[in-house]
Amino acid sequence: MAGKTIRVATDVGGTFTDLVCFETDPDNGRSTVVTAKSDTTPPDFERGVLNVLEKGGVDPATVDFLAHGTTVVINALTERKGGTVGLITTQGFRDTLEIARGNRPDFFNLHYQKPKPFVPRYLRRELPGRMSYRGEEMAPLDLSPLADILDDFRSEGVEAIAICFLHSYANPSHEQATLARVRELWPEASVVSSHQITREWREYERTNTAVLSAYVQPTAERYLRRLNDGLKAKGFTGSPYIMQSNCGVDSLESVARIPITMVESGPASGFWGAAELGRLIGEPNVLALDIGGTTAKCSLIENGQVRIMTDYWIERDRTSAGYPIMVPVVDLVEIGNGGGSIAWVDDFGKLHVGPQSAGALPGPAAYGKGGTEATTTDANLWLGRINRDYFCGGEIDADMAAAETAIKNVGEKLGVDADEAARGIIRIANNNMVNALKLVSLNRGFDPRDFVLVAFGGGGAMHAMALAAELGVKKVVVPAGAPVFSAWGMMMSDLRRDYFVTRLVDLQKGSEATIEQTFADTEAVARQQFGDEGVEPERVKFVRFGKFRYQNQEHTTEVLLDGAVTAENLAKIEADFHDTYEREYTYRLDAPVEMVGIHLIASAEIGKLTMSEEPRGEADPAPALKGKRAVDYALEGIHEADIYDGTKLKPGMVLNGPAIVEDPGMTVVLHPGNRAELDGYGNIHIDMAN
Amino acid sequence: MSAISNDPITLEIIQNSLQAAADEMFAAMKKTAMSSIIYEVLDMGTGIMDAKGELASSGAGIPAFIGVLDKAVKVIIAKFDQPGDIEPGDVFATNDPYYGGVTHLNDIVVAMPVFAGGRIIAWTANIAHNSDVGGMAPGSLTGEATEIFQEGLRLPAIKIISKGEPIKPVMEIIKVNSRMPDVLEGDVWAAIASVRVGDRRLRELAEKYGVATFENDMVAFMDYGEEASLKALSGLPKGTFDLSEEQDDGRIFNVKITIADDEFTVDLRDNPDQADNPVNTSRDGVMVAAQMIFKSLTDPYSPANGGSFRPINLLTREGSVFHAKEPAPIGFYYEIELRVYDIMWRCLAPHMPDRLAAGHFASVCGTFIGGIHPDTGRQYTIIEPQLGGWGASRVRDGNSAMFCGFHGETFNCPAEINEARNGLYVDRMELNMEPGGEGKHTGGRGIVMDYRIRTDNGFLTVGYTRSKFPAWGVDGGADGSPNYVEFRPKDGEPETFAFISGKVTHVDDVIRVVTGNGGGQGDPKERDRDAVRDDIKNGLITKERAEKVYGPA
Repeated sequence: MAGKTIRVATDVGGTFTDLVCFETDPDNGRSTVVTAKSDTTPPDFERGVLNVLEKGGVDPATVDFLAHGTTVVINALTERKGGTVGLITTQGFRDTLEIARGNRPDFFNLHYQKPKPFVPRYLRRELPGRMSYRGEEMAPLDLSPLADILDDFRSEGVEAIAICFLHSYANPSHEQATLARVRELWPEASVVSSHQITREWREYERTNTAVLSAYVQPTAERYLRRLNDGLKAKGFTGSPYIMQSNCGVDSLESVARIPITMVESGPASGFWGAAELGRLIGEPNVLALDIGGTTAKCSLIENGQVRIMTDYWIERDRTSAGYPIMVPVVDLVEIGNGGGSIAWVDDFGKLHVGPQSAGALPGPAAYGKGGTEATTTDANLWLGRINRDYFCGGEIDADMAAAETAIKNVGEKLGVDADEAARGIIRIANNNMVNALKLVSLNRGFDPRDFVLVAFGGGGAMHAMALAAELGVKKVVVPAGAPVFSAWGMMMSDLRRDYFVTRLVDLQKGSEATIEQTFADTEAVARQQFGDEGVEPERVKFVRFGKFRYQNQEHTTEVLLDGAVTAENLAKIEADFHDTYEREYTYRLDAPVEMVGIHLIASAEIGKLTMSEEPRGEADPAPALKGKRAVDYALEGIHEADIYDGTKLKPGMVLNGPAIVEDPGMTVVLHPGNRAELDGYGNIHIDMAN
Repeated sequence: MSAISNDPITLEIIQNSLQAAADEMFAAMKKTAMSSIIYEVLDMGTGIMDAKGELASSGAGIPAFIGVLDKAVKVIIAKFDQPGDIEPGDVFATNDPYYGGVTHLNDIVVAMPVFAGGRIIAWTANIAHNSDVGGMAPGSLTGEATEIFQEGLRLPAIKIISKGEPIKPVMEIIKVNSRMPDVLEGDVWAAIASVRVGDRRLRELAEKYGVATFENDMVAFMDYGEEASLKALSGLPKGTFDLSEEQDDGRIFNVKITIADDEFTVDLRDNPDQADNPVNTSRDGVMVAAQMIFKSLTDPYSPANGGSFRPINLLTREGSVFHAKEPAPIGFYYEIELRVYDIMWRCLAPHMPDRLAAGHFASVCGTFIGGIHPDTGRQYTIIEPQLGGWGASRVRDGNSAMFCGFHGETFNCPAEINEARNGLYVDRMELNMEPGGEGKHTGGRGIVMDYRIRTDNGFLTVGYTRSKFPAWGVDGGADGSPNYVEFRPKDGEPETFAFISGKVTHVDDVIRVVTGNGGGQGDPKERDRDAVRDDIKNGLITKERAEKVYGPA
């Protein structure tokens, strides 16, 4: 074992805790991969992590790099299993959290229920003191009521305190003073103030962000501490890195201070993986699609860059206003369409798929665990796309009678037979996913034909080719290890932090100094934070974006800035803004341009995995051919397809559709006319052109 | 591909895609607009009409704008009826209720024909409230107007873009008539970008599935919409229901609603003549109010389209407040539309208590504040609807601090943005603790918000209703509390009002907006004891008053 580099990613999901381990031989760069799965063990999640390491035969003492992703934060939020929070805010604004924004998305429904604030009114308290939007102190902070407030909080069982004052994005000194005093008066309490999380304006969003962060803090701190202790006890000598919603990893200590940044760590690692894969195979423009059991998620990567935004909400949909969390989250669209999504017919004879899911229990009808409703997976089985004799890698005997009954039920309501109903389910599911992919591409002015579709998750490869055909995408890539691709993405992540700072400046001669200073100040903060964790300043890389708009507008367009902001390149920055704007919105204006703030990405590599490429061999896939069977391709009819064993595919092999690749964790559906080739890393490249 | 496909799956896919296109149009407009009333408050709507102007699909936004776009497009189609009048790339605009504009002159409807297979297959359109379209007062809205000519520039269903190219003189006329020309120009372009996004998406759909299938499916959705409405209508109690109600200004409004198996008749003929101040609405405006209440009663969850509204039969009298004749002023039409909406709700509530809760604050509470930004020296204009309390139902307390029934996916303006953009201070924004709305279930709370002015010679215009007669309680629940403004000048005595136009403001004057609590439901003595304890703990009511209202603990 000596000399090998061992990298491990563990991912705690709602049902299972996953492990992927790469052992890399430094002499030849070859890696061997181990994967394992064990039950998630709430509330002591760290036990599941240690279990899965043991199950995979990984000795923590030998691990060089350990990355960890978790749904603990999002689960604590959606299941309302966080701590009791007390809020301290500006005088006159204790009700901000409850007033929220007053919107009613479900507007014809007169029984709409406004989302309940996470802190009841009696635990929302005020302090005198006021800043202006320019950060000037208008009224001094008065901390004299604080001791009484904290006494009340103690007697009410408060476990965590959130602090948010008006205009703290512009001047956080009142928040800092209050934070320090709270720590002094009540050192045991978890406490967080809004400026530590975000420096952007909008008081409801920032207050709610601080509140939700405080809400999950006791749970997350305990979780991270026990994870760390558990790993140390088993001999792990490094420090674990925690996956973040911004596609980077961060140190455990840093995450423990502001755990809310983990909220979308699961999807983020997959999308980062897609960006890294794009770099590896020379495809910088990627549409990434992750299809799991209950949802499909997609994101667009332009020129190797994932798009990070701070306009993130939980539980927001057509029927609820949801709750904002102003942290950097990868720009993604998620829809309730996965392998377990239920097909149903409404009162007017119209077919729908999802968002209800059969979950893991009872699961699709074909699981034979009592599920009576047809799911996307049942339809895929029925049409011969999934092998009924090799269901879930052969682990489950497909209950085809149950699947048939379920699909026929749908068909009866539609007045069609089972075949037609199953085709309908696939087409509706595909259409839902196409619309989601359009939201991240066409909707933002990007033509999907200029992108490669990277499809992963258990269901990605089953639907990707049909979606690509619909969108005019020319090439699909199904990565090696697609079912555990998120874990791979985690191992490819950098230590990364995204800084968003609101700073309103007219883009005109003389403004370059202010803009450059804003970047320089923020970069100094970043270097300091990285430095505190032992990363030397010269290893920290920066990418700068400005957020611009026409004067009088509100919403901004992010533009990449190359190098220092100087008087000479202001004109180019402005021209880049006009171009970006016109691409997205079809017009440009002859109006003054403003910068509203900056987005700075600071990152440092922390020894990520280097992939080695194997030479390509014979094109003939005959050694992997298992046989043939009839497969129903919905709109393209029934074809006799070649069936391949995915575990026997080798670099250089070429497969022609109609064909199916069966892998223990996924099924690749190649349509007639598709041509697939394996690259030296084991990724399958599907050429859609013919 | 010219054959019509009757495949139900294709039908579903096209319908989903229309919805997605309308949403996409909404997003484009929100992101590009320059007035906070559009990008923040989202006082706008988007929709897709068929070739005849029937509403096929609507985007997010506000319910009161859902039924506007079809009426505007129909007027454009009727006006441009000669060959060559409408060509690919054209864009039209109207803002005049006497030319299909439905609402008031601030709301500009922008519409674009979608061509495929050599003919018009659909229209994409949107509507949004523009900050200033000229007229006698800043912000264009004033209670002083006696004719529509004083309320701004009238665009009587005209072409603004011809074959993709802006008609420059027309654009210049629009711009020069505004006190905020750059903002108006920016907002009109935002609207144009939005209809173009929709146009592109619909052409792709028609190309993919065939024009005939596309057209056929649009008809089919509307038939589905009608079917859904009729099915729900059959579950409503039948009969004729009648209600007369005194308004804050002393007028008596009356509604008679007759619900039959296949028709929902709203009779508004027995109402006062149109007024010579801007508290009138077009007939189209009250039709929108009827459509809103009808949709909420029948099928609130599925998207609205022209078919959904077919069972409505509206009776009005020309020359009345609900069917104003040119040149009656209509600036505050929305309060009148809301009054109709609210009396229809109140008229039916006792007969369908499971569907209809107690009354809500039921006023847009439109607040218009303008002046010079002390830090930038530029003119600012705030146009804000306000949040207020909703009524209690038989199963729960009403929501606090929501926009009124007229609005929907509408957002209030954050204090931080208000202070930066408009150069005034927001000293507080909190729940209204006035009594009102007590009951077994309590009405939701309105808000109290203080704007403090930072420069001299600004203006204030407001037009609130339900100020004299607050939200109504049901089943023995107490009425809510009134909507009003308390003006607290730096020097002088505070004054309270609900309607005022162009009041001059000075440094450190405070404009306190107070919106009503919703109506309560049921006898307060029956309120759950734990709920009363929570009310006291949360400071919503004092212990002493709680004992008086709810009885001993």
